[in-house]
This record gives sequence, C-alpha cells and structure tokens, in this order.
Amino acid sequence: MARRPSPPPSVPSSQEVTDEQLDAYIRTRLALAGVDLSVLPEDDEDAPADQRRIMASARRFLRSTPGAIAEFEFDPMGPPPAIYPAEVSAWNRG
Amino acid sequence: MGELNRRRFLERMTALTATAVATPATLGAIPHTGSGVGTGGPRGDGAGGGAEAGRRGAGGGAVAGRLGELDLPPAGRPQPSELTELTLAEAARLLRDGDVGAVELVEAYLARIGRWEPRYQAFNTVVSETALETARAADRARGRALGRALGRGPLAGVPLAIKDNYFTAGVRTTANSFIFEDFVPDFDATSWARLRDAGAILLGKTQMGPLATTAASTPTGERTTVNAWAPFHDNVSPGGSSSGSATAVAARMAASSTGTQTGGSITNPSNAQGLTGIKPTMGRVSLHGILPLTYTRDHPGPLARDAVDAALMLRIMAGPDPADPRSLGLPPVPDYLEAVSGGDGALTHPERGGAVRIGVLPGFLDEPEPPEDPAPDPDPDVDRIGSSFPRRERTQAAYRRDVATAEARRRMLATLEELGAEIVELDFPAHWETLTSFNFNNVRLPERSEIFLEHLRDDVTQFGVSLAPWINGLLLPAAEYVRGSRARLVLLQEILDEVFGRCDLVTQTAPYPFDMVGLPLIGFPIGFETESTGYPRPVGGMFGAEPYAEHHLLVVIAAYQRVTDWHLRRPADPGDLRPADSGDLRPADSGEVRPAGRDGDRPRDGSDRRGGRNRSPGRYDLFDVMERGE
Repeated sequence: MARRPSPPPSVPSSQEVTDEQLDAYIRTRLALAGVDLSVLPEDDEDAPADQRRIMASARRFLRSTPGAIAEFEFDPMGPPPAIYPAEVSAWNRG
Repeated sequence: MGELNRRRFLERMTALTATAVATPATLGAIPHTGSGVGTGGPRGDGAGGGAEAGRRGAGGGAVAGRLGELDLPPAGRPQPSELTELTLAEAARLLRDGDVGAVELVEAYLARIGRWEPRYQAFNTVVSETALETARAADRARGRALGRALGRGPLAGVPLAIKDNYFTAGVRTTANSFIFEDFVPDFDATSWARLRDAGAILLGKTQMGPLATTAASTPTGERTTVNAWAPFHDNVSPGGSSSGSATAVAARMAASSTGTQTGGSITNPSNAQGLTGIKPTMGRVSLHGILPLTYTRDHPGPLARDAVDAALMLRIMAGPDPADPRSLGLPPVPDYLEAVSGGDGALTHPERGGAVRIGVLPGFLDEPEPPEDPAPDPDPDVDRIGSSFPRRERTQAAYRRDVATAEARRRMLATLEELGAEIVELDFPAHWETLTSFNFNNVRLPERSEIFLEHLRDDVTQFGVSLAPWINGLLLPAAEYVRGSRARLVLLQEILDEVFGRCDLVTQTAPYPFDMVGLPLIGFPIGFETESTGYPRPVGGMFGAEPYAEHHLLVVIAAYQRVTDWHLRRPADPGDLRPADSGDLRPADSGEVRPAGRDGDRPRDGSDRRGGRNRSPGRYDLFDVMERGE
C-alpha cells in the first residue's frame, strides 16, 4: 500500500487551492443539493451558526479530508467497501 | 461528604445481613479509607483496601444465574434515604424479594430529582406521574405474584433514565434538537422496549448534545447538564453526548441509564463521571427506534454504576431484532451475568481458560511531557480564546490531569496483573496512525448529511449550533467515501491480526478507532485526581475487545471492581458543596438555572434559531474535544 506519487505540478495541492475556488465549489455543491446557507446571518458571533463560520469550516474540511483519503492507496484487488466491518468479520467466521 | 454515602450504606447493610444470615456471600465490611475522594484505590496500595469484599456482596460475586433469576446476597431493608444508593442489581433483588416497593423506589428517585435537578439539569423530561402509575401497577402485580412464583421481569419496578434519542411511546423524544422538538413517537425503541418488558420504569428522558453531537446543550449551544462531580463548575465537561444519562446515574437520580455512541458518547461521559459504560459491538443492540446520527457508527448501550449493572442492562438490551438487519446473523448473546459472577476469583479467559491477556499500545503509560508555559496574550480575550480560563491555567491543568491519568493507568494495570492477567506490550497496527486519523474519522459525515438531507434542504437553521459537520458531509466526494469504507476493513483486519492475535483486551486512550470499525469498548473508573482543578474528579480507563466479546470486557472489569473501590465513590450532593469563590460559578439557588421539564413541558430552549443565545455558550474548556463525544 505505497503512497501515490505526488500529483503533477499542474494540479494544485489542496493547500494551494484558493479560498475563492473552494467557496465556488462549496456553493455550487450546496446549490446542487438544494441547501441554502443564505438563511443564516452572514457574520454574527452570537448566532448559533453564521455563513462565515460555516464556509470557513467547509474550506478546512476540503483542504484536509478528501485529499488525505485519496492519498491512501489500495491494491485494486484489495478489500471491498465494508461499512459494517465488525459484522462482516462475524459473518465470515462461519 | 456525599462520596462516603455509599460506604456507609454498605456497612449498614453488612451489619444487618451479618445478623440475619450467615453466608459467604454477605456484603463485606468497607473500612474507611480516609476522608477524601482520591485516596483509596486498589487493595494493596494501602489506601482503599476494603472494597473487594463489598463488591463480592453487592455485585460480582453475587449475580449468578440468568435473567429473572437474580441471585444476589441477602440484605436488610435499606432506609428510605438509602434507596437511591442501591445499584441496579441490588434494587432488582430487593424489589423481587418484596423488601422494597416500586412506588417507594420511584418516589425516592423523584425526590432527588425534585431536590437537585435544577442544579444538575440532567433531564429533558421527567414523567413523574406516569412513573408512579407504572410503579403502583408493578407493586400490585408483585402482590399477586408473591408466593406463586409467577414470572416477573428481572427489572420489575426499577427506575431508569433513557437518553432523549430513544423512542419512548407517548413521551416527547427531541434529541435536544429543533428538528424533533415536538416529536412524540408512537412506539418504543427496541432496546428500551426490552428494558420496559423486563419491568423497568421510565423516570425521564435525559439531556444530550444536539442530535447526539458534543456535550449536552440546547440547539443554540447553551450548556445544560453539569458534571455530577463538579456541579458548580460549568467549565467541567459532563462528557458527551450522553451527558444527562451519566449525570442522572452519578447523581443517583436514576438506577441506570442508556446512551448512544458514535464517537465516544458512552465511554466519555462514563469516564468523566466515574461510571461503567459499555459501547457494544455494532449490531449487538438494535438501533431500531433510535434517532440516527450515522448508520454505521451509532451504538446503543448502558451507562451504569458498575460492571454488574452494565452486564444486567446489556443482557436485556442485546439480541437480534427483525426490525434492524444489523442485529441479525450474529453470534449468540453470551450470558453477561455469568461473566460478572466472579467464579473462583481468578481472572481467566471465559472461553480459553488461561490468563486473560491485556494488550498495551504504545504511549498508554507514558509520562506526559511538561508543557511549555505559554506566555499570556496581552489581550485577555485572545488569551482566553473563548474560555473562562487564561491560557496558562488551562495548559497547566491539563498537564496535571495527564500526569494523574498516567499514574492511574499504571496502578490499574498492576492491579490486573496481580489478579492474574498477562500484560502484553504491543505495537500499533501497520496503518493505525493514518486510518484512525481525523480525516478517516470524517468518513462518517456523509451518512449524517444523507439522513437529514430533507431538513438541510428545508432550513439549515434547524441544526442550530451543530450545523457545520452536516454541511461538510455534503462535500465529501463519493469516491473518497467508498475509499474510506474500504479502509475500515483494512483497519479492522489489522486490529484482528496484529492486536487480537496477541491479546484478548486492549487499552484505548480514545474511542474513535474502535467506533470506526464497530468494536466493543468499556469505560470504567480507575482513580480520582484533584490536581487539575483542586476538587475531586474521576479518572477513567478504557478497554476494547474483539467483535461480540463484550463478556471479555465485563469479566475483567468486574474482577477489577471486586478489588478496587473507585466505582463505589459517589459525588457529594450539591447542598454539601459550597461554591468556590470564583467568578465562573453560580450559586445553587441562582435564578439562572431553569427548572427541569416535566410531563408534557415544552423544550426549555426558547431562543430564536437565527438569533442569539440567551445564555453564554457551552465551554468545557479545561478538557479537550475528546471528552465531548458524539
């Protein structure tokens, strides 16, 4: 399970993607899912949630999680997805 | 001090028993171990030696047999003031034998709730009248059954607190959320139905983190439940998200309780409040009728006063349920009561027969490094970064707690070794660091987003302070979700091969790795420390086991609790504690604390979803996020 080689230079790393690019991705994805953040206040520390904090959280998430998971390389003949691994282990014990 | 109540109770029960019955199973005397919590401890360390005999009587050595056939030692009738000191198993026995009535037991708990709930805020809803009606019916049924050996449930008449994400027919089930604030289910969650069918009485629904995320708060983020060990210290986390369940049991406002765990929400509050909590293997307890957070990582289980009570609760909750396919086709449910029965006292593997092997992963016993003393920021707001404590004080408190935790861990392993366990030093599995990382832990997030997609599309303000992870879950591409799901099987296989190939139980310092792959965990008390804050706080330990080996965990912790007394400590009542002279503390009679909800009451949070909070946000800032849980 070796690491993948680094992406070619023309592909920016997740750290190099700009806030503007990420914001466009986030807003597009949320629009496609039918989710509207505009009902939140834009920037209000006293509100339970505001657009500024939600967008900042989303950018941090996108800069870390998808890339880290994508980097973990499997043998194509490796394990299939198992969302209930403990049960798979019990079922396979015979 | 309240923490000595339990010992006084056991001593008195011992005296009554000794005069009434001569039997090896009588409750042993509990010598006083000093005046303060945090002294005491394992037998042999010169501090807490007397607990072994106590546990033989009250639990481990006494609960033998099957459901409905509790075989606890004889004991005298407790004083009314002592009824809430009874463990679940003790209460079940006294009820079975007619030494205590269900009504008087329920009344005793309701009295404590009435007295202390304004401070603890452990409940969302207390169903006083319904509980009393059920108790009266239970007493009438017992009257008819006495002398006729009629089958009665093993928990007949025992009052329980149920987390507010379990469906309870006719009783509001909110998950502390705007989304379900008016939801009244018309059926019971399977696991609660099993407890109810065993005779348990619902006292109320407990406070929790909104939608089972973080420690208990309103949907707008206002703290609710306090830690029973620090009821005047709002900054001390009660553990989450099953916060109210833990506080209700620790504060003797329920005999036992239920929780759910997706990321530590049973084991963390158990550790935070000196309880024994089990997160069983995925599928062992049905999730049908429990408001979901994720499909693949939600686990229902008990929070209890000791391993015997946890075994009794789990034995009733566990088993296949046609309504939840995840619970089907699994190994048979072992007899957890047999696992905690004590046998000849030796700590042996329940199936293999040899010494139980306890694996210790790297770092578990390491002494923490003294932190760099952070220079205070000239701006006090920046220095506190949203905390009620300055940065330097926070850092030092966390370090002192880490030092005490390391010492408690060493002592706990030494005790288990004295009991006959074999300690096995292990390395981490090959990809442990990567596959248990924050990023792979995030693979769960799309599940919650999918479950609540209609609500996200309808109005995101319904998620209150918890919204961010629901949005993030919408952003993880499907290919990465599938890859993360493949990684779970890699992680599990490495754990089975490289960890459980060499040991039976393994130490854990965080719940997430075993939550990710659905393996069982037990949280249990291993000590106390006063060094971090100046007042006693429980220190918890955690073990994991192979799939569906909850009985292995129970065997070991029941044995540990027969020779230690950490689980016997009880927090003092708020009335016995004088609030410290500190600006962050509220007096007990402060009008800031709202009364607990009662039957049919509206949710206590009346704040606007888009508007500000009407109290300060929750800050459990002496502790890291791991104690918040979900």
